[in-house]
Amino acid sequence: MTELIVQQNWFVWMTLLPLGAAVATFLAPGQARWIGLTTALFLPFCALAAIAATVFSTAQPLTVGNWPTPLGIELRTDGLALVMLAVTALVGFIISCYALGYFPPRQHHLSRTHYFWPLWLFLWGGCNALFVSGDLFNLYVTLELVSLASVALIALEGGKAALAAALRYLFIGLLGSLAYLLGVGILYATYATLDITLLGEIISDSRLNHAAMSLMIAGLVLKSALFPLHFWLPQAHTMAPAPVSAVLSALVVKAAYVVLLRLWFEVFPALDTLAIGHLLGLLGCVAIIWGSLMALRQERLKLLIAYSTIAQIGYLFLVFPLARGEAMAGAWVGGVLLMMTHACGKAAMFLMAGTIHHTAGSDRISRLAGAGGPIGVQVVVFTLAAATIIGLPPSGGFFAKWLFINAALATGQWWYIAIILSGTLLAAAYIARVLGWAFLDVKRSSYPVIPWVMKWPPLALSVIALVFGLIAYAPVQIALIGAPVSVPLLVEFGP
Amino acid sequence: MNTVSLYAGSGIILFSLGLHALLIRRHLLRKILAANIMGSGVFMVFIAMGARGESGVADPVPQAMVLTGIVVSLCFTAVAIVLAVRINKLTGCTTLAVDEESSID
Amino acid sequence: MEPALIFDLVLLLILIGLAWLLLASTDLFRAVVLFIAFGLLLALAWVRLGAPDVALAEAAIGAGITGALLLVGLGRLGSTERCRFSRAPLTFLQRLSAPVLVGVMIPSISLILLLEVHQLAGTTPGRQGLINAFLDVSGSGHGVTAVLLNFRAWDTLLEKGVLLLALITIWSLDQARPLFHQEDISPQLMGLARLLLPLVIVVAGFVLWQGDQAPGGAFQSGALLSAGILLAILVGYSLPQRWQGLSLRLLLAIGFGVFLLIAAATLLYSGYPLQYPEHLAGSLILLIELVATASIAALLAAAVVGGHPPDDLSTPAAKAPSTSGRR
Repeated sequence: MTELIVQQNWFVWMTLLPLGAAVATFLAPGQARWIGLTTALFLPFCALAAIAATVFSTAQPLTVGNWPTPLGIELRTDGLALVMLAVTALVGFIISCYALGYFPPRQHHLSRTHYFWPLWLFLWGGCNALFVSGDLFNLYVTLELVSLASVALIALEGGKAALAAALRYLFIGLLGSLAYLLGVGILYATYATLDITLLGEIISDSRLNHAAMSLMIAGLVLKSALFPLHFWLPQAHTMAPAPVSAVLSALVVKAAYVVLLRLWFEVFPALDTLAIGHLLGLLGCVAIIWGSLMALRQERLKLLIAYSTIAQIGYLFLVFPLARGEAMAGAWVGGVLLMMTHACGKAAMFLMAGTIHHTAGSDRISRLAGAGGPIGVQVVVFTLAAATIIGLPPSGGFFAKWLFINAALATGQWWYIAIILSGTLLAAAYIARVLGWAFLDVKRSSYPVIPWVMKWPPLALSVIALVFGLIAYAPVQIALIGAPVSVPLLVEFGP
Repeated sequence: MNTVSLYAGSGIILFSLGLHALLIRRHLLRKILAANIMGSGVFMVFIAMGARGESGVADPVPQAMVLTGIVVSLCFTAVAIVLAVRINKLTGCTTLAVDEESSID
Repeated sequence: MEPALIFDLVLLLILIGLAWLLLASTDLFRAVVLFIAFGLLLALAWVRLGAPDVALAEAAIGAGITGALLLVGLGRLGSTERCRFSRAPLTFLQRLSAPVLVGVMIPSISLILLLEVHQLAGTTPGRQGLINAFLDVSGSGHGVTAVLLNFRAWDTLLEKGVLLLALITIWSLDQARPLFHQEDISPQLMGLARLLLPLVIVVAGFVLWQGDQAPGGAFQSGALLSAGILLAILVGYSLPQRWQGLSLRLLLAIGFGVFLLIAAATLLYSGYPLQYPEHLAGSLILLIELVATASIAALLAAAVVGGHPPDDLSTPAAKAPSTSGRR
C-alpha cells in the first residue's frame, strides 16, 4: 500500500484531479461545494507527496504515453514545477475555503455559485498542467485553458464592466497566445522538435530564432501584463469577485511568467539576449515606479492592490537583465522566490479586501475611515500581507529583493538598486495611506457579521508570506532541483 | 520561390492583417473576425512548414497541432460572441467602451 | 512557371484579398459571408499543402460552425442606438500602441520572417520517419490520428477540456434563446432539412469510421453531426424538458470525462498517463473517438444555441430549444 502511494506520479495526478473534479462539479452542481473543497484539501497533500518523491529521487520526469521525447510530451518534475505546484496548492486551498464563505449556498444569485467551482477547478488544473509541461505546443494549450477559465471567472460577476473586462482579457489572451504560437511554429519548422530540453541543446543563434523568440516573449509579456502592456489588468482584476481577483493576481499572471522563465533559461540560453534582457529590465523598472505611483492615487482598495500587482510584475522582469554570469543563480532564485511570496501575499490582500468590502459595504479607501477598531482583525491581516509586498524583513519579498540587489551589485548594474529601493518606499507609502484611513479616530456604526472562513484563512496566507524569508531555505533548495542555473553561488545567500 | 515559402509568406501576411484589424477595429464582431484571420495565418505557417518533406509526404505533427488550434480558436470565438451579445444587451454598444461611473481610470 | 504554382499564387492572392475585404467591409453581414468563403478557400489551400484532415476540419469547424456562430451572434446583436459610449476617446497609450505595432513591429517581424522562412524551405524534414516507425504500435493506421490520440494525446485531452470549459463559460453567461423565429422558415426549407438530416448522420458516421485509416476523425465527424443537430433544431425538434438536466450535461461531458478516466487508469496501471496497453490501443482510441464525437456534436450545437437550458434557473423562462431531440 505504501509502495503504491510512494510510487504514484503525484505531479501528474495534480493535473488530472482538479480537471476530473471540474467535470464532477459540472455534472452535479448541487454537490459542487463539497467536491471543490475535498479536491482543494487533497491537492496540498499531493504537492507534498510530489516534492517528497522528487527529493528522494523516486520520481523522474516522464513523457505522456512513455513515447521518446521528440515524439511524446515531457512532463517535468523539476524544482520550478514543484514549487509552483505547491504554492498553487496552498493558495488554491485557502481561496477555496474563502469561496465557501463568499459564495454562500443559498444565495439569490444561484448561477454564480454553480459556475464558480467548475471554472475555478478548470483553472487550477490548467495551471498545474502548465507548470509541469515541458513541451512548447502543450504549453500553448495549457495557456489557452488558463486564459479561457480566467475570462469566464472575470465575467462571473455579470455586470457590464465585468463583461467588458472579460472580453478585453479574451482578446489580449488570444493576441498573446497567437504570437507565441507563431514563434512555436517557426521553431518547429527549423528543428522539428517541441521539447524544451531538446531544443535548448540544439538551438543556435540565428536571425530566425531571434524572430521566433521575440514573438514568443512579446506574447507572454502581454499575458503577464508588463508595462506598457498592462492596460487590461486593473479592470480585469478588480471587476471580478474577491476570490477570483486573488486567483488572477496570485496565480494566472505567474503562469505566463513561468513559461517566460522556462523559455529564457532553458530554450534560448544560446541566443544573444543582452539587448532584450535590458529592454525587459527597463520596462520592469518603469512598471515598478508607474504601478506604485498609480497605486498611490487610487480611491478604491481593489484598484490599489491591482496597481501594486503591476509594480510587482515589474520586479519579476528584473530577473532577465540581472541573471548574467555569476549573478545567474541569485537572480533566478530571487525571481522564483518573489513569485511564490507574491502569490501568497497578493492572494491574502485581495481576499482581505473582499472581506473589508463585505463588512464596510464599500471598497472606497475613504470609507475605511475609522475601520481599524471594529474590523481591526481584517486590517491587521491586510497589513501583514502587505509587508511582503513592501519587502519588509523577514518577509519573502525582502529576501527576493535582497537577492536582486546582490545580483545588481555583482553585475555592476547599480541603477536597478535605486529602482528597487524607490519602489519599496512607494509601496510603503501606498500601504501607509490605507492604514492611515483605517486608524482615523472616527466612530463607526456596527458591522455585519461575516463567516469565519472569510476572516481566518487569509491570515494563514499572510503569515506564511510574512515569515517566508525565515523558512525560505527549504523552498529554495527544492526550487534548485534541476534548475537551469549554476547552484554554488547560492550558499552564501542562505539564511 | 517555391510552394512552401509562398504559403508561409502568405500566412505571415494574413497574421499581420488580422493583427492590424484586431488592434484598430472597434466593433466586437470585427475584432473576432480579425482574431480568426490571425489564427488562420499562424496555421498556414504550420501547415506550409509541415509540407516540406521528401516525396511530398506531409508531417502529421503540424497537422495535429493545427487541428487542436482550430478547435481552441473556435472555443474562443464562441465565448467571445456570447460575451459580445451580453455586452450589447446590457449597454446597447457593440464596442468595448465602458460606462464612466464603473470605469477605472 | 509551373501551372500548380500559378494556381497556388492565385489562390493565395484571393485569400489575402478576401481577408482584406472582410476586415475592411462596413457591412457586417457581408463580412461574415466573406469569412465563410475565406474558410472554404482555406480548406482548398490545406488540400494543396497535403493536409486533408485539416481541410475537412477547416470546412466543417472553421467555416461551418464558426460561420454559424457568427451569423447567430450577428442576428442577436441589437441596435446601437442606446449606446452612449460609441465615441469614447482612445487613451494615449491605445493611440500610441496601434501605430507603433502596426507601423514598426509588424513590418520588421514580417520582413525577417519572409526573408528567412524561404531559407527553411529546403531544410529539416519533419517527424514523418519517427512517426511511421511507431505507427504500428500506436493503435491507429493514420498518422494524424496517431499523433492526436496517442503520441500527443495529452494536448488533445487538454483541448477537449478547453471545449467543455468554453461551454461552461457560455452557460455561465447567458440563457438559451430561440435560434430562429419559426415563422421565418419556409415549408420548403423544412422539407429539405428533413431530407438532409439522415444524410448528415450517415456522412458523419463515415467520416468518423475512416479516421482510423484516412483523413477524418472525431472533430470533423462531430462538427458534421452538430450541423445535423442544428438542422433538427431548425425544423422544430427540441430536447424534451426531462433530458435537459443531467442527461444533457452527461452527454456534453462524456467525451472529456472518458478521456480523463483513461488517463487516470493508465497512470494508475503503468505510471505513465495515456500509455495504452499495446493490444488495447486500437480499442481505446476507438472508444475515445466515439464518445468524443458524441460530445463534440452536442458541445458545438450547444455553443451555437449559446446559453444554459432554462431549467437551470428557478425562474421558468420562455421555452427555448436546446440541443436536438434525437438522442
